[in-house]
Amino acid sequence: MAVDAFSDEWAIRFKDEVNKSSVYKAAAKGWKWTVGLVIEAEPDKNVPESLGVVMDLFDGEARDIHVGPASEAQGCQFVITAPYSRWKQVATKELDATKGMLQGKLKLKGDLPTIVRYTKASQELTECTTRVPVQWPDEK
Amino acid sequence: MLGGLIEANVESRPEKQKDFESLAAKVGIFVTDIDEGVTLDFRSGSLVVHNGLEPKRDITIRAEAGTVMSLSNLKIGLFGMPVYYDEVGRGVALKLLQGKLRIDGLLGNFATLNTVTRIFSVA
Repeated sequence: MAVDAFSDEWAIRFKDEVNKSSVYKAAAKGWKWTVGLVIEAEPDKNVPESLGVVMDLFDGEARDIHVGPASEAQGCQFVITAPYSRWKQVATKELDATKGMLQGKLKLKGDLPTIVRYTKASQELTECTTRVPVQWPDEK
Repeated sequence: MLGGLIEANVESRPEKQKDFESLAAKVGIFVTDIDEGVTLDFRSGSLVVHNGLEPKRDITIRAEAGTVMSLSNLKIGLFGMPVYYDEVGRGVALKLLQGKLRIDGLLGNFATLNTVTRIFSVA
């Protein structure tokens, strides 16, 4: 059953998908930093306020993933920021996250060499988001 | 992003500083699946990043975004040579054989390519 994108239910399902992924577990071995995704508001797409997804990822495991204010996500060690519609493109595989970062469509804050070392893990995180059926706010 | 990666790499890894200071070359990187490129103009201790491919490049690397990221993940082995026998290295070598990774200007610039790879490597 589809859940609302970037809702508490979505965060739980996303966390479950990450922890079910053996690919992620292997690729993220040694990762020990928090990651925040900032979803910038697009009022015309039914996203009136910016949101944050806060991910506590440790050594191939998602210890916690929750949705909160954008400011909380901005406090993470790695922060990836993009408008809502870009995130939707990533989650629906219209935009590859690596290409998005190279093109500056997704803005990354944090130690670049570290995140590049974990490219495969970040690609699998994106794959995990695509496995959660969602109801998009602009399609309601 | 590529310029930022090099800057962070050189600042955080002193062993890369020597390579960075010795390198004077214009290196083009063209990402084929987004149809965009940059020119990294290494000037013996400084780097100027130009959007697009500038003329008079010494080397030009053409590959998909994922392969460019793989180049950054090449391990550096004995004598400062990139390692092509582990999983990442084999993947890069295969792309080269398949023509999905093209390196123009390699002839005569092999040492430059190795230096660039060492500066780029995050592994």
